[in-house]
Amino acid sequence: MDENSSARLKRRLLDIVYRIGLFLAMLTICLPGLWIVISSLRPTVEIMAKPPVWIPQEISFDAYVAMFSGIGKGGIPVIEYFRNSLIISVTSTVIAVAIGMAGGYAFARYRFRGKSSVFLGLMLTRTVPGIALSLPLFFLYVRLGIIDTHFGLILAYVALNVPFTIWLIDGFFRQVPKDLAEAAQIDGCTRWQAFWQVEFPLAGPGIASAAIFAFLTCWNEFALASQLTRSVSAKTLPVGLLDYTAEFTIDWRGMCALAVVMIIPALTLTYVVQKHLVGGLTSGAVKG
Amino acid sequence: MKGFKPSAPFLLLLPAMIVLAAVVVVPLLLSLYSSFTPFRLTRPETFYVFIGIRNYLSILSNTDFWWAFGRTVLLLTIALNLEMLLGLGLAMLVEKATRGQRILRTLMMFPMMFSPILVGFQFKFMFNDNIGLVNNALQSLGITQDAIPWLIEGHLAFIAISIAEIWSSTAIFAILILAGLLAMPKEPIEAARVDGCTPWQTFRYVTWPFVMPFAYIAMTIRSLDVARAYDIVKIMTDGGPAGRTELLWTLVARTAYSDGRMGMANAMAYFSILLSIAFTVYFFNKLAAARTQIGAEW
Repeated sequence: MDENSSARLKRRLLDIVYRIGLFLAMLTICLPGLWIVISSLRPTVEIMAKPPVWIPQEISFDAYVAMFSGIGKGGIPVIEYFRNSLIISVTSTVIAVAIGMAGGYAFARYRFRGKSSVFLGLMLTRTVPGIALSLPLFFLYVRLGIIDTHFGLILAYVALNVPFTIWLIDGFFRQVPKDLAEAAQIDGCTRWQAFWQVEFPLAGPGIASAAIFAFLTCWNEFALASQLTRSVSAKTLPVGLLDYTAEFTIDWRGMCALAVVMIIPALTLTYVVQKHLVGGLTSGAVKG
Repeated sequence: MKGFKPSAPFLLLLPAMIVLAAVVVVPLLLSLYSSFTPFRLTRPETFYVFIGIRNYLSILSNTDFWWAFGRTVLLLTIALNLEMLLGLGLAMLVEKATRGQRILRTLMMFPMMFSPILVGFQFKFMFNDNIGLVNNALQSLGITQDAIPWLIEGHLAFIAISIAEIWSSTAIFAILILAGLLAMPKEPIEAARVDGCTPWQTFRYVTWPFVMPFAYIAMTIRSLDVARAYDIVKIMTDGGPAGRTELLWTLVARTAYSDGRMGMANAMAYFSILLSIAFTVYFFNKLAAARTQIGAEW
């Protein structure tokens, strides 16, 4: 075999190995999620079958119907949990982004003493593990009478999100050239007007993705919510998921269906913001 | 006092400071105080009894605590290192792809969209000894006939939890490292190749230094919420079997809420807070160092 064709063969082999590697990697990433979706659509008998049934024989939406038809046979109040999750996540996101915009603007546009230590300090408040923070909060909330309320959880989630929204929004404001706002100010805008009419619209998509990120953090949070809520009036979806495991027999299909309900908003929103999110994290952090 | 006029950045940062002080700093001071008391939820009057560092002393001689502490550090070490390696591999696989890179990138982000509690549930389902995907697959392929007790045997449960943790967080590394690879100028690589570097040398001395800050950003983000593992463990094994997968965080929760020993739990919580802060400060410094190195070259 001459050198040319053996080189070509080697190249082709490498290409095939590469493709198999990529395929396996993607399979590992996607399979667990797909398995949940499939399991939520098949009858419980099939999930429990021994030997396993690999290809679904029949598709049914019973699990979803049962879930949303209120507290019935083994049902949990999903609608209430969904409503709580939505109210808490949206409110705390709006507040966290407003605070984050002020803070991010300060970091991106002003020089002040101790800037990097203030930044590190903000980040450090975020490192406190949720469960460690829940101990004093639980005690305080009981005293103040805001345990198991929307307000209590919203307050906690705002604090949880502020450091990260500041980091992200700081990055997005840095991407907007300083000269634009200065030009607007020379043309007679006040700094306030220049901010809202020039810098805010330009950083807008980035701020939107920071908002979505904050929303997802609240939507997914478990450690705090599981201790600071007790009843249907404030429990969120992640805590609700645990309702299924509290019983002796686990309703796998119901849990899968609830998991799908939880993942759909997250999936859509993350898809929308992925590009901006990476841009914000890296620009804010690398260019210093 | 001279006419104090607060500066603009101070005013802008004030709301953030107030919220964080109210929800994080003050409660933490409170919990620091209560870690010096024998406070129990069922006996409120114990909140005002001061016992000095007795809680901390009894933690030092508590073997359960040290096992949980060691296990937590072990889990974090294994998980962070593997996530970094796998993330790097994944990023390079996707970067090499000539077609469909956009779709691959979206697929790669898939695990990021799962909340830890969902990741835990999903792997609890897959590792179920009776009906789980993993055992079913192993049995169908004829590799084993037994139902492997993934979540029931201590070591296997630890492995299962590590897998869940790695599955959920590799994406963060992959995405940020990929962003670094894509932002990298092509000339240095070509120059290295012309100068006769092997692919490994090109990677080691040209690509890696450039991508490193991006990896540290991922590390910093990860270290901000290492305690996510609490959710995963809580739903997968709840610290079981017989405390064999108990992490620092589940131990704190159990001591506080099941046993009602708040004072003791707060003392333990301080260990977990210090652990998190140590991680963050470490990676934050690495990030700063890597940033100045790159800054000089940019």
